Amino acid sequence: LSRISRRRAAAVIVLLAGLLAGCSGSSAPSGYATPEANVINVSASACGTGWRHPAAGVQTLEIHNDSSAVVEVQLIDPVDGSVYTQVEGIGPGTTRSMPVNVGSGQYSFTCTGLDYGTRMGPVIDVPGRVSGGTAILPLTSDQLNLITQEASAYVARGLAALVPQTAALLADIRDGNLPAARIVWLTAHLTWERLGSAYGMFGSYDDAIDGLPFGLVGGVNDPGFTGFYRLEYGLWHGQSADELTDPASQLDLDVQNLRTAWPGIELPPTQAVGDLALRTHEILEDAMQNQLSGLDDFGSGTTLATFAAGIDATRAQLGILYPFLVTRYPQTSALYSSLDQLQHLVGAEKTSRGWTPARDLTTAQRDQLDAAAGQTVELLSPIPVIFEQERLIP
Amino acid sequence: MSEHGPPADGRPLPPSPDAADCPISPGGTVQPGRRSFLRGMLGAGAAGAAVGVAWDARPARAADTSPAAQAPVAGPADPQGRLPAVPFQGVHQAGILPPPQRQTIALAFDVTAGSRSELADLFQTLTERSRFLTAGGVPVPAGVTGPPSDSGILGPTVVPDGLTVSVGVGASLFDGRFGLVSRKPAHLTTMTPFPNDNLDPAQCGGDLSVQLSAGSADTLLHALRDITRNTRGGMQVRWRIDGFSSPPRPSGTPRNLMGFKDGIANPDTASSTQMNQLVWVQAGTPGEPAWTAGGSYAVIRVIRMFVEFWDRVSITEQENMFGRAKDTGAPLDANSEFATPDYADDPDGAIIPLDAHIRLANPRTSQTADSRILRRAYNYDRGVDAVGNLDMGLIFTCYQQDITRQFETVQTRLINEPLVDYISPFGGGYFFALPGVRDQADYFGRALLA
Repeated sequence: LSRISRRRAAAVIVLLAGLLAGCSGSSAPSGYATPEANVINVSASACGTGWRHPAAGVQTLEIHNDSSAVVEVQLIDPVDGSVYTQVEGIGPGTTRSMPVNVGSGQYSFTCTGLDYGTRMGPVIDVPGRVSGGTAILPLTSDQLNLITQEASAYVARGLAALVPQTAALLADIRDGNLPAARIVWLTAHLTWERLGSAYGMFGSYDDAIDGLPFGLVGGVNDPGFTGFYRLEYGLWHGQSADELTDPASQLDLDVQNLRTAWPGIELPPTQAVGDLALRTHEILEDAMQNQLSGLDDFGSGTTLATFAAGIDATRAQLGILYPFLVTRYPQTSALYSSLDQLQHLVGAEKTSRGWTPARDLTTAQRDQLDAAAGQTVELLSPIPVIFEQERLIP
Repeated sequence: MSEHGPPADGRPLPPSPDAADCPISPGGTVQPGRRSFLRGMLGAGAAGAAVGVAWDARPARAADTSPAAQAPVAGPADPQGRLPAVPFQGVHQAGILPPPQRQTIALAFDVTAGSRSELADLFQTLTERSRFLTAGGVPVPAGVTGPPSDSGILGPTVVPDGLTVSVGVGASLFDGRFGLVSRKPAHLTTMTPFPNDNLDPAQCGGDLSVQLSAGSADTLLHALRDITRNTRGGMQVRWRIDGFSSPPRPSGTPRNLMGFKDGIANPDTASSTQMNQLVWVQAGTPGEPAWTAGGSYAVIRVIRMFVEFWDRVSITEQENMFGRAKDTGAPLDANSEFATPDYADDPDGAIIPLDAHIRLANPRTSQTADSRILRRAYNYDRGVDAVGNLDMGLIFTCYQQDITRQFETVQTRLINEPLVDYISPFGGGYFFALPGVRDQADYFGRALLA
């Protein structure tokens, strides 16, 4: 719900406002205590000074903002602008730690502030022949736009597929054909899951369409419990077509409204790519926690089908990022191997009798699935860091 | 003791002490040598009488003979690493204000005592055992009267090891079984689920809460076995969670299992003014029954942390979610752990995001000052869950004068904070931590039952 929307706003404001405002020449040294060795000063007027004896090795640089403005600092390769590490939102007079594995070569700091955009400090030479950490090349704005367009089109296609499915679900329930409704419910729910909406991409629509009763005072009987899981609960707990007509009608309407709203509720490209990268990791985190575990089974026993759809969604996001990922992430092929194995294992749980309910997995089956899923999310977890959208070439 | 009567749900009354067994004299003091609870609760079996004799004599003896019981203030730990006794008696319970000890056990009990007098017996037994266990001493030998009176897991002499026993009452105790409906603390309710909670009824609520804290796990298990053994017929464990507080790493406030220092900004427990404003229910508070004075509302929330997921999240995101630097514990706008964040200077959240945990929990304004709470959190670790994930998290515990004004106001500000994706509150409850046991004649709940 919140992870994506929350952290981005402030940092993006810093960057964009900096670009728009240009150089207003603000710098106000505050006369803070004299920095010690390897305390790096960051401000508009002195960005990245104070690294007195640069040497290779794992170390923690103390980044001190002696100006009166908030600064975001990156340690970059001055040759190509690739980024080793960064610290966001360093307040005036504040010192923050920057742990870094420094190798031999050239370094520079950049300082980004609300009043002056981004400045680059002096080039620092680290002597010797020691290898250090890896730098990541930021994306260009053309690349950002391309990724955003593809991601948006993927969602639009998914919503177009979903609208007739939730309409069919409503129609079956109105006709009193609950066996048919149970079949189309699963189809529609998997279409929804393939959108990869984990963590609030659709804002309040997420809760309306795919919300859970946990935390609601009335639980599964709470009037605030709506959407797919509400219908699953009713369809598999003997509720009548009459009881289910209103929830099905509401779901149909919410999905239509979402399709109409999209892509108007989409994030701007500067945020959308970071958002996409987060989801690439978190769709499976969410699916592991709630579907693979069986926690979100409200009666249909199809959480492994939902989990498989989550794998599909992850692959779709990865496919969009792939051209930019493969050059930045050495583990890309290992990630795909892990996904293949996971998909194979999950797929084996679909038999001629339907999907195995997660609760019926044997310990050996569960171990295999948990190991493959756990390994996959470990391999996915660097992707949001690699594509944090603060690291853009302005 | 005038409200004896059948339980509200119509259950038959178990054998009940008659008026002559009533442990309360008109003057409100406990008669020495009472054993009505034990007769009522344990006396059904053949061994009951013998056990009762041994139990009966022991608490008074131990309390009288143990030097630690007389010690007014805790001194330094002895060379074995055992902590000195924490004085049991006082206006307030002794386990509420001190910083978390190394080990804790929090439990809730369902009371099975069948009447108000049996409830009084239960409280008196709980008091006697707590008085002995916190002071330490030599358990009275049972001789040939029965099995050993002590589990022996602390050796022949019970060491105090800093043990504190904090006792609270839940809203369900006031449901009519004991004629206490009109005595319910004004703000005591069943814990309400907040959005994003996943409360398991079996791990929530309870008639009584008991929190045992001490320097070592064996001290707690000894106390737990002693207390449950002596109260077997009067209460049964509803849920239990064991916790620990980490040593400073490398300094300052202990860290939680997300790696962040937790509990940095608390009211000053050395300030009686602050404690009287924020923690202790004051005499004469409108709407509060008189007996509640000196007590405090306790909120326990057992919160699972999804640590595997958390470990896959970037340091920038982690720090922005809390609003503190992970290494030092300093607010992101300052250089030291105990610095006060300056939100007025950061109105857009460019340094500390507007929805950072510390910013929502305590906005540091004069308007929100009276919603502050005294946090006493412990970490928990209970192995793996059913699907193989590490099951660890936080036993969030806080004390306050008014749950609505304080905890619920804070928690309402925290609804949908970014951290919710990594945690799941599943257990705990609201309790009223009883006023302290003031003297040898006093006992837990005396004023409540008077």
